[in-house]
Amino acid sequence: MKEGEVKIIGFLCNWCCYAGADLAGVSRFQYPPNIRIIRVMCSGRVDPVIILDTFLWGADGVFIGGCHPGDCHYMQGNYYAEKKIEMAKRLLKEAGVEPERLRLEWVSASEGERFAGVMREFTEEIKELGKIKFEKDEMEAACIAAADYRLRILATKEKELLEEGNKYGEVFTRHEMNRLLDDMVREEYEAKKILLKLKKPKSVKEIAAELNLKPNVVFRHIMDLRRYELIEVHEIRDNTPTYVAKVEEGGE
Amino acid sequence: MTEELRIGVFICHCGINIGGVVDVPAVVEYASTLENVVHAERNLYTCSSDGLESIKSAINEYELNRVVVASCTPRTHEPLFRATCEEAGLNRYLFEFVNIRDQCSWVHMHELEKATEKAKDLVRMGVAKAALLEPLEELTSEVTPSAVVIGAGISGMTAALSIAKNGFHVHLIEKKREMGGMLRRLYKLYPTEELAAEFLEQRIKAVEEHERVELHLSASIKAVEGYVGKFKVILDENGAEKSIDTGVIIVATGAKEFEPEGLYEYDGEKVITQLQLEEKLKRGDSKLDGIENVVMIQCAGARGEVVGYCSKICCMNAIKNAKLIKEANPDINVFIAHNELQAYGEEYELYYRDAKKAGVRFLRFPLERRPKVIKSEGKLVVDVFHERLQMNIPLEADLVVLSVPLVQNPDAEKLSKMLKVPLGQDKFFFEAHVKLRPVDFATDGIFLCGTAQGPKDIEESISQGYAAASRATIPLAKGYVSSEAIISSVDEAICVGCGICESVCPYGAVEVVETEEGRRAKVTGVKCKGCGTCGSSCIKRAIKMHHFTDEQLIAQERTALVTEEVVS
Amino acid sequence: MKDRAVLVIGGGVAGMQAAFDLAEAGIKVCLVERTLSIGGRMAQLDKTFPTNDCAICILAPKMMDCYRHENIEVLTLSEVTAIEGEIGSFKVKIRRKPRFVDEAKCNGCGDCARVCPMGILNKFDMDLRVRSGAYIPFMQAVPLIYALDRDKCMRCGLCEAVCGKDAIRYDQKPEIVERNVSAIIVAIGFDPLDPSGLTEYGYGRYDNVITALEFERLICAAGPTGGHVIRKDGKEVKRIAWIQCVGARDTRDNRPYCCSVCCMHATKEAILTKEHYPEAATFVLYTDLRCFGKGFQEYVNRAEDDYEVKYIRGKPGEIREKENKNLEIFYSPSSDRVEKLEVDMVVLSTALIPSEGVEALAEILGTELDKYKFFKLKDSYNPTETTRAGIFVAGYCQAPRDIPECIAHGSATASRAMEVVLGGSYDRRA
Ligand SMILES: Cc1cc2nc3c(=O)[nH]c(=O)nc-3n(C[C@H](O)[C@H](O)[C@H](O)COP(=O)(O)OP(=O)(O)OC[C@H]3O[C@@H](n4cnc5c(N)ncnc54)[C@H](O)[C@@H]3O)c2cc1C
Ligand SMILES: Cc1cc2nc3c(=O)[nH]c(=O)nc-3n(C[C@H](O)[C@H](O)[C@H](O)COP(=O)(O)OP(=O)(O)OC[C@H]3O[C@@H](n4cnc5c(N)ncnc54)[C@H](O)[C@@H]3O)c2cc1C
Ligand code: SF4
Ligand code: SF4
Repeated sequence: MKEGEVKIIGFLCNWCCYAGADLAGVSRFQYPPNIRIIRVMCSGRVDPVIILDTFLWGADGVFIGGCHPGDCHYMQGNYYAEKKIEMAKRLLKEAGVEPERLRLEWVSASEGERFAGVMREFTEEIKELGKIKFEKDEMEAACIAAADYRLRILATKEKELLEEGNKYGEVFTRHEMNRLLDDMVREEYEAKKILLKLKKPKSVKEIAAELNLKPNVVFRHIMDLRRYELIEVHEIRDNTPTYVAKVEEGGE
Repeated sequence: MTEELRIGVFICHCGINIGGVVDVPAVVEYASTLENVVHAERNLYTCSSDGLESIKSAINEYELNRVVVASCTPRTHEPLFRATCEEAGLNRYLFEFVNIRDQCSWVHMHELEKATEKAKDLVRMGVAKAALLEPLEELTSEVTPSAVVIGAGISGMTAALSIAKNGFHVHLIEKKREMGGMLRRLYKLYPTEELAAEFLEQRIKAVEEHERVELHLSASIKAVEGYVGKFKVILDENGAEKSIDTGVIIVATGAKEFEPEGLYEYDGEKVITQLQLEEKLKRGDSKLDGIENVVMIQCAGARGEVVGYCSKICCMNAIKNAKLIKEANPDINVFIAHNELQAYGEEYELYYRDAKKAGVRFLRFPLERRPKVIKSEGKLVVDVFHERLQMNIPLEADLVVLSVPLVQNPDAEKLSKMLKVPLGQDKFFFEAHVKLRPVDFATDGIFLCGTAQGPKDIEESISQGYAAASRATIPLAKGYVSSEAIISSVDEAICVGCGICESVCPYGAVEVVETEEGRRAKVTGVKCKGCGTCGSSCIKRAIKMHHFTDEQLIAQERTALVTEEVVS
Repeated sequence: MKDRAVLVIGGGVAGMQAAFDLAEAGIKVCLVERTLSIGGRMAQLDKTFPTNDCAICILAPKMMDCYRHENIEVLTLSEVTAIEGEIGSFKVKIRRKPRFVDEAKCNGCGDCARVCPMGILNKFDMDLRVRSGAYIPFMQAVPLIYALDRDKCMRCGLCEAVCGKDAIRYDQKPEIVERNVSAIIVAIGFDPLDPSGLTEYGYGRYDNVITALEFERLICAAGPTGGHVIRKDGKEVKRIAWIQCVGARDTRDNRPYCCSVCCMHATKEAILTKEHYPEAATFVLYTDLRCFGKGFQEYVNRAEDDYEVKYIRGKPGEIREKENKNLEIFYSPSSDRVEKLEVDMVVLSTALIPSEGVEALAEILGTELDKYKFFKLKDSYNPTETTRAGIFVAGYCQAPRDIPECIAHGSATASRAMEVVLGGSYDRRA
């Protein structure tokens, strides 16, 4: 894609949206050439890590196309996709990127015209938002957070927690769920940002200053990260320990 | 894998379909500069015999171990190119398809330069994915040698009987107490004018007598599980629950007549539908005592009035009933107010002429000026704007018959959800391909026929019934189906046995089992349909969705965004 | 022991579908096609209604699937000359005309075609393009094996000299092969009517009156003009009219039937014209618009609303050619008026009639034809069975139908043949 143009990456499910995109072609419905389509078998395949990685590498917009609710070729894949994309949106927000840059649409195999319409609309929207801007560290932190098991469990189990309740039989309300998600996402994201900062040895204070976080919050994260053996004490400087990330960690 | 990558890229002009928009030679030149590409060429039609030949000879000549074709859509052409690779000795999954027609040249017809840029990007992405492809093998699984046919109208009965005659057990499931469907309610049939009841009687007898047809009357589908070769259909039959194992399923649930509530003064007595007229005639009321003028109105509720489509059968049906009335009682005036007249095919045109000869009067109205029914003081007048005479003609009527379209059954939506097969915009079941696969669904092992697919006459419903039988017999006769090679697998070294994959898999294809190392998830190959939801849910990212791996998708996405080879 | 094999006559969409289904079910099929390639009429079309799918794009993979299937033997340039026996055990004689090219050796490179000095009109392109004496009918022909047109060949020997594969065989002789089969499926399709006899339209006399099938070749990118709709004098069209029911729904020549596909193919062709030439004016002159199939009405709506195709009710009484070779069409839209429409090209949606040679074939097969020479059905509402047991009929040669109906019908006959082969059902009652 030429510099200056907005770049959009689309992940389309084979059965509905990809077929709809083909039908748009067969029917010659025109739309802007900004999108590059990647075929997946099901929208449920699309991993938040991949979505965030796409932004990290410079996409101005990411489009996910799946089957209409109930039409999923694999029954519930699109439902899970929706939850995962919500998660990815929360993380985008944390990283300071407009969540509208990520869009999920249901398009059926017979909706060629609609596909072209959605493409026109989304491209317009992204053009209005302009080229994407973010701090590389922040987006990287979002990527790693998406790869972390805690958020992955939450994204997948959301339905269960809402409908059947947790291990103690407590059923969550939508509101509680949203708060839980917001909190968890923020926590994870902060932790991952700290982890990234620790590519070079740093003390709690230094990190708190760099990331504009409260030292006690940073300290809590540091303890967690140590527990999971993601970081280690580097040295003790003037009675203050500095920490550093263990090698080979840090996600892709 | 330490083998040296040798990728061949084939770019199709598709006549001018691609070549007229995308600068194909430029894309070829560009492709040949990409990493690992040892050969790039263009073909007028890559899918023609000579195109395929040149793929094969290039595989040999350049010792290609990955092939990329940039042309139309994998949805129609991937099997062909995969098979071609295989013929040249390359594993069929070492092939990558790039769509530069349906999703590029055809949708950016007026932006030649940008379309060419996009084609280059797409080819680059394809090459990046190809570099990461791995050879895969297909698995086969056995097929339960029996069929389920849902709906015992004429199309379902035909399908069931033919499959039975092909040698397989058939469960014919009908929600009503009796077989026959729509035809049970009809009087006589066009174009033969035989009695619907007599026609049905023979057919029903043949079905009842066949040893391999098992009837389930007053039965409805509760749930459907499984996949081609191994479906399980749960029935409620007369209140009792039954479970049927079957290899294939045919949907033959028919359609119903549209109810013209609020249109043309419809009241079910003086203004009735064709079906109500049939029922009247069937009751022996063919003389229509006391009635002098009958006016039939075509396309009532169809072709843009309520539904958009033409219902195909109502013109002939009106002609039939008009002719029957006229012949039974020549004194009755019968008018048909119509727009187009669908007297298509070999026989219907003649039938239409016969009706004219019998004295049925035809008046054509333009679609923009449909007839109006005016009710005053117990009298009916149908005001028809006559297209040729360009004037209004008021017709007095004792009976107005509305030719309304066939529409989908209300419970079809539920069935479509249970079967995971789509309905189209017109709400009829939507086949796999409008031109080439008229009786298949996109889902393997499920087929359709009859008016469930769209309005059609008896002969065509029968033809489709046989067609669905043929398509359904294939896996039964083969005895096995080859399942996807594209399935997921678990890296046991990373898996912690949390079971989240098990909870998301709709096919029960991943299960957590005890191993020597502790609890680990395990994939059952033939059950897996390759959606990849488990992979994107796995908390440790331990599941690999083959052919759509994280690495492959990431390579595609990153390559799309970065023009240079800096991608790592 | 009955023969687990089926003969399919005619390699159009209907015949191919029947062959493919049977083969997939494990039954051996011998597919006999009279011309050089399978594919039938659909291969000649540009796009297909109502989706505007490119015809050859979707057909080519099917042709290849059929040809490459391990259970299908495709015999091209072949015709059935005799059958003996009965349902369950027919013995069929097939005459294979020589190709004068060794099928096993030719790799379809086309070197012979390039050196051949002869110029012959190509029937596949409706005689609108010249091919050489060594040829394939069209690019995507299956099998991709060249043939020599010996009638026109002057035996210069150039092709033999140039053929790197040493595949030219001037001395090939016709050959009779025999196959034993349990059932037979006839799917020999249709021919377009030659409208020269219908003098009011001036076909053959006027330069710019063509048939719809000729138009399909003209607008096809792979066709003789590379997709340009040009008149004899080289000008591109600006105003073009389709005339429906030419020779159809017409009692004069005993062709009262409706061909069922022409209203829609005219609509398609008008849309395609507008796509190529947005400025062009397009007219369809018709009697009744037969838009009864799935998605057809919607297609016509699009033609009218999005492509400004003008539908005019009225069958022309006469067409006159002007000095500039434009055409004046006279028709009457209402009872008291005659109107004139001037265009620069007229496309005739001619009647579609049973294929040439259908009578001879019916005689060989011992099956009856109906009064229009379509294959007669044993009884009504039984759309697959001819008057002879074990012989089934698929596609247009039984009655008018479009491609998806032909495909369904092809599959339908396959199931009937499976009843015989798999189920051992020789009972004639349905
Ligand atoms: C008024 C009228 C007159 C007609 N006259 C003629 C004529 O003269 N000549 C002609 O050729 N055609 C005629 N037709 C068209 C003809 O009726 C249809 O072509 C034919 O009935 C289609 O058969 P079918 O089996 O597809 O569907 P149907 O006849 O509708 O049968 C469908 C069957 O499926 C059952 N079913 C539906 N849903 C379920 C479910 N969920 N589970 C189990 N079972 C289910 C229904 O109870 C029914 O028995 C006429 C149609 C109408 C409306
Ligand atoms: C101008 C035009 C445009 C059309 N456009 C469309 C469209 O857009 N969409 C659509 O759905 N339909 C369209 N149709 C209709 C479509 O072409 C037919 O429905 C379809 O091709 C018929 O298929 P078939 O297999 O029955 O016959 P055919 O395609 O005619 O195939 C018959 C085959 O049998 C062979 N054969 C004939 N005689 C013998 C013999 N004696 N022995 C051996 N082989 C023999 C022939 O060579 C041929 O290969 C169009 C038709 C026309 C004329
Ligand atoms: S078949 Fe006739 S009455 Fe029915 S919708 Fe079509 S044109 Fe109207
Ligand atoms: S389909 Fe249309 S043009 Fe063709 S014969 Fe029928 S009415 Fe005439």
